[in-house]
Formats: sequence, C-alpha cells, structure tokens
Amino acid sequence: MIVCVAVVGHNNNPLYLQSFSDDGNTLKFHYIVHCSLDVIEEKVSNSRRAGVNLNETFLGLLYPTEDFKVFGYISNTKVKFVMVTTDQDSRDADLRNFFRRLHAAYVDAASNPFHVPGKRITSAVFAEQVGNIVKSFGIPAPV
Amino acid sequence: MPGGAREVAESCVDSLNMELVATYCKRLHPTKPDLAGRRIEAIGYQVGLQLAERYTRERPRFTDHLESIKFICKDFWAEVFKKQVDNLKTNHKGVFVLQDNRFRWLTRISVDALPTTGAQNESAVAANAARASQAAGQYLYFPCGLIRGALTNLGVPCAVSAEVTTLPACEFNILVLKRVE
Repeated sequence: MIVCVAVVGHNNNPLYLQSFSDDGNTLKFHYIVHCSLDVIEEKVSNSRRAGVNLNETFLGLLYPTEDFKVFGYISNTKVKFVMVTTDQDSRDADLRNFFRRLHAAYVDAASNPFHVPGKRITSAVFAEQVGNIVKSFGIPAPV
Repeated sequence: MPGGAREVAESCVDSLNMELVATYCKRLHPTKPDLAGRRIEAIGYQVGLQLAERYTRERPRFTDHLESIKFICKDFWAEVFKKQVDNLKTNHKGVFVLQDNRFRWLTRISVDALPTTGAQNESAVAANAARASQAAGQYLYFPCGLIRGALTNLGVPCAVSAEVTTLPACEFNILVLKRVE
C-alpha cells in the first residue's frame, strides 16, 4: 500500500508531502524523498549523456530500501512526483496511471490563481484528490 | 471527468484583454506607462507558467531550448491563439524572432487614419504606421508575459519584447538569457 506521496518543485523545493501510514513518522518520509531527488537528477542527466533520447516522464523504480520501494515521475516543467510504497509487486500500468492522475490533479492545483508558484500547495481539494487517487491505486480493473 | 470540456466565448477573452490594458494604462498608472506595462507583463508571466504546466502534461520531455521554442510556436500558440506561428527566425546565438501575420488579439484593433492628401501621402502613411504600433504596443504586454512565463517554466530563462509592424501582424523577439553557472 502507498505510504507517502510527494511533489517537489523544479528548484528541489517541496511543494506537497502527504503520508498515509499510521505510525506518523513523517520525518522519515521527508528523508526518503530527499534522497530520491539525487537519484532522479542522476537518471535525468544520465539519459541525456548516454545519447539515448529517453525523454520519458515516468522514471520507474528509483531505489529500494529495506521496507519500501520508491517510484519517480518528472514533468516537462521539472516538477517531480515521488511515491513511496510497501507493495512488493506493482504493475507498471498501475504506476503510470497513478502518476498520470497525480499530474492532472497537480496541474489543476497549480492553475489556482491564489496559488503562488514555488510555495507549498495548500488546497484542500488537491489533498482530497490525492487521497482518492491513492485509495483507488492497485484496484484491479474489472475483467 | 464530468461532462465535456467547458468552454468560454472568445469575446470574453477579447473584452478582458481590452479592459486589462484600459485599467492599467489609463486608470491606474496614466502617467507611468512603463510601470503599467510591467504590471500587465507580470500577470501574463504567471498565467504563462500555469498554461505551460497544463499544455505539456502528456508530452515527453524536451531535450533542448530549440525544442521548447518550437513547442511554443506550434502547440502553445495553437491552444491559445488557435493558429501556429507563421515564421520563426533565429541567429543560433540565443535570439529568436516569432512572426505572426495575423495575431488574433490584434485583429479587432483599428487606428483612425490621418487624412492623406496628395503631396503628404508618404509621411502620412508613415505617421499612421507609427500611431498603429504605439496603440497596439500596449496590447502586447500580456502576450509577452505569457511567452516569458511559459518558457521560464520549461527551463529557458528569457526576455521577450514585441513590436507591431502593420496591424494585425506582429513580431515577438525572444532573447534567451545565459544562466550564470
């Protein structure tokens, strides 16, 4: 199950971080997300150097820790979405879908004229949408 | 997503644009046209940032500055102004000129022509052109900000200026700023 979702701006400034686990050690998730930023930078600059035109938005598994797996996604405007989960096997299609919906919710939140770009997202609607997306993650599609 | 995409009449955009210029240039800062221009451009900048987020949603990432500028010329322009930029010129040193022969937001502007009698035809025509570009220049602050905001969000810091050649054609000059490493 997903334990944390984070949105990081293009200056590596945190825009939104929400943890969904019960034990409330949000600080640990701050640390994990912060470490994953380095991995994202490496992946992005590596794909440029290797000449492979891998201009994908979905970055895949960033790194596995002892209990968690961390997945990343970067948008065209260098906004990064990071997701920490305890699931041991997640389908690729599910992950891509998850990040696509998260990106859509972020675009709506950023279009808010009262939102200051670069500051934290304080919209309750965005928080609710993220909650819904997290809840519906991994539900198998009806056969 | 409930229902279909919501739409707004284009006359609303035209009216809003006209009122924006009228308020800032005539009502709020009548003696300081530069300040009014900067304020309008700042509004355009924020809108450009947000629009860039929205329009690059499903696309793969851009590899360099030229790709970003081409995105602005084609997709961004098509979304905002319903057509693509007619001509793109560059000197490959960071200066780009976007030419639009029929800029949508200028199509409703006309300038009262000075009466042209026989002998003074040339100078009257030139004077008309000068008045046209001055009148229309105010309406270009917002699109300049739009372009600057969109490009900045895509990672291309720049300065944008515009000039009107003959209504409704106009040119946007983009100067890509070098980031100090």
